[in-house]
Amino acid sequence: MTLAIALTVGALFTMGTFLLLRDDLVRVVWGVAIISQAANVYLIAMGGIEEGTFDLVPILAGHGHDAGGVETADPLVQALVLTAIVISFGMTAFALVLSYRAYEENGTMNVTEWAGGDQ
Amino acid sequence: MTALLALAPLVVALVASVLTLAVRSWPRFQRAVSVVSALVYVVSVGALAWTVVFAPDASALVYQVGGWKAPFGITLVADALAAFMLAVSAVVVLFTVVFSVPYIDPENQQVYYHPLFHFLVAGMTGAFLTGDLFNLFVWFEVMLMTSYVFVAFYGGARHTAAAVRYVVLNIVGGALMLLAIGGLYATVGTLNMADMAARLGAPGVDAAPVVGLTALLLAAFALKAGLVPFQFWVPSAYRAAPLPIAAVFAGASKKVGVYAIIRLYFTVLGDANVTTEVPLVGVDSPLAFLAPVLLVMGLVSIVVGGVGAVSRKRLDGLLAYSSIGQIGFIVVPIAIAAGTSSASLRHLGVLAGLVYALHHALAKSLLFLAAGTIRDAAGTTRLAELSGLGERSQVFSVTVLVGSLSLVGIPPLAGFFGKFLVFTTAADQFATARVAGSSIVLGVLLLGAVLTIIYATRVWVGSFWGAQSDRVELATLDGLQVAILVGLAAVVVAVGLGFEPVYQFADAAAEAAIDTEGYVTAVGPGGEP
Repeated sequence: MTLAIALTVGALFTMGTFLLLRDDLVRVVWGVAIISQAANVYLIAMGGIEEGTFDLVPILAGHGHDAGGVETADPLVQALVLTAIVISFGMTAFALVLSYRAYEENGTMNVTEWAGGDQ
Repeated sequence: MTALLALAPLVVALVASVLTLAVRSWPRFQRAVSVVSALVYVVSVGALAWTVVFAPDASALVYQVGGWKAPFGITLVADALAAFMLAVSAVVVLFTVVFSVPYIDPENQQVYYHPLFHFLVAGMTGAFLTGDLFNLFVWFEVMLMTSYVFVAFYGGARHTAAAVRYVVLNIVGGALMLLAIGGLYATVGTLNMADMAARLGAPGVDAAPVVGLTALLLAAFALKAGLVPFQFWVPSAYRAAPLPIAAVFAGASKKVGVYAIIRLYFTVLGDANVTTEVPLVGVDSPLAFLAPVLLVMGLVSIVVGGVGAVSRKRLDGLLAYSSIGQIGFIVVPIAIAAGTSSASLRHLGVLAGLVYALHHALAKSLLFLAAGTIRDAAGTTRLAELSGLGERSQVFSVTVLVGSLSLVGIPPLAGFFGKFLVFTTAADQFATARVAGSSIVLGVLLLGAVLTIIYATRVWVGSFWGAQSDRVELATLDGLQVAILVGLAAVVVAVGLGFEPVYQFADAAAEAAIDTEGYVTAVGPGGEP
């Protein structure tokens, strides 16, 4: 299970980095969205992954009473990742809107052809 | 009850942003609300600073949000360091928001300028006050989201291009920060800064895994501070944003990155030790890891910023590069403080960094606002098209002169004490605990100072002396804007002349920054939920 999660995080980061380095703006936005998701998956893995069994409800097992020695998933990372998901959702939405405006203003989706210059 | 005071600046900023949004159908009223809110913000920060530093029974204020005791809830900690940073940004915030009223065109102000401005302030305030690592991430994002909109504010080709680059870079920075926070939680088992400090400082605990994870955080913070090699976004973003916002970015937002570095490494990791052999790094504490890395980043920033500023063609570009160099001046003494084993030199280094941060916030925001006045009056900031401003308005020229001289470090202005303390730190290290490269540090600092003189002179000679250019001849300087600049210049002079209480304040802040035990005791983690 841990190996599968590790591979997933690795694959997501690879994909995100690859897309981030493209010239095409839409791919770049895809890239940052995927990198954010990779960070989220990584974050949830940091709470310790317990494989589910029939008598184990991931969060509720230890809630409010003794868990009875059953190992449960850490609820804190789930709270963190929920916040992080909301933030990355907002960011992606903003990045898409901004991309459209930038496309209208610059007349191209190729970021290397954009107005630059810090003179 | 006094603990609620720690919450006050945050509440003021949040209420201000909601209020300015609610009353936007009445533009004049909205502007008045915005300015009054900034005033209330300054008063609340002043009250906080008084309680935390100057009052007879001064001590750090701790507010446990929702009554959940640390380390289970989110803790807001207003110690002397947080109060100092808040005070620095409060001054910048007040002057920029007042300046925005005559500078930004009324339609733009009405739509979203003022609400966003106060959200930006709320983000900075939260970042300074929070005592929780994940909460710090959230406040960083609040601050960044508003700054994205400000970079894209004018919506032209150049502005949107700069905004996209800025957004992409910072989302990646945010992901790095999230990775580091997740890793720290998994290894240390807490996100509360005081609890983390207590756990890592306990005898026998090996902080080796923390070194690498906090290096990721260092990258994220350095990106916010605009240190080399993370400085690429700075010039285009500063030039795209409205100039009063560039003043806030340079004066206050960048300092959040510097603050976070100080807080994390000196307060949280100050007592941590590394006992295992770390390959390739070979250090005995996280601070010893920070020292060379931050030193090189700072020194290169000084050179890149200085050389870049000398070669710019526009005033705002010049100021943007200059602020890269000046951030270098802030972090070099902090890096020296991290590397030394002497307690007094460590204190002096942090103190020098803080005083320089204060000076830079005042002088650079003054110069950015002055650049705004010039753009408003002459329609350009190209140095080649400006000359003879000195004849045009003497009062305005004097304010810019005060800002430039403070940047150069002429007594009795605020900048003198900043430069003086930075050089004292470097010279102390050179004299007492000479290590490889001490002389290089002094040399680069001197080079940076000379470069500062060169570009400050360039601005002065280029745009204030000489015959009036066509644009300057037709220009009319806005009286209200000049009056605000005079006010800010007066603050620069006043800080220099009445340096004693400022020094006291910075001294207490530096003490709070390196006093890990005091921080842990104040927050008192380990309570029952």
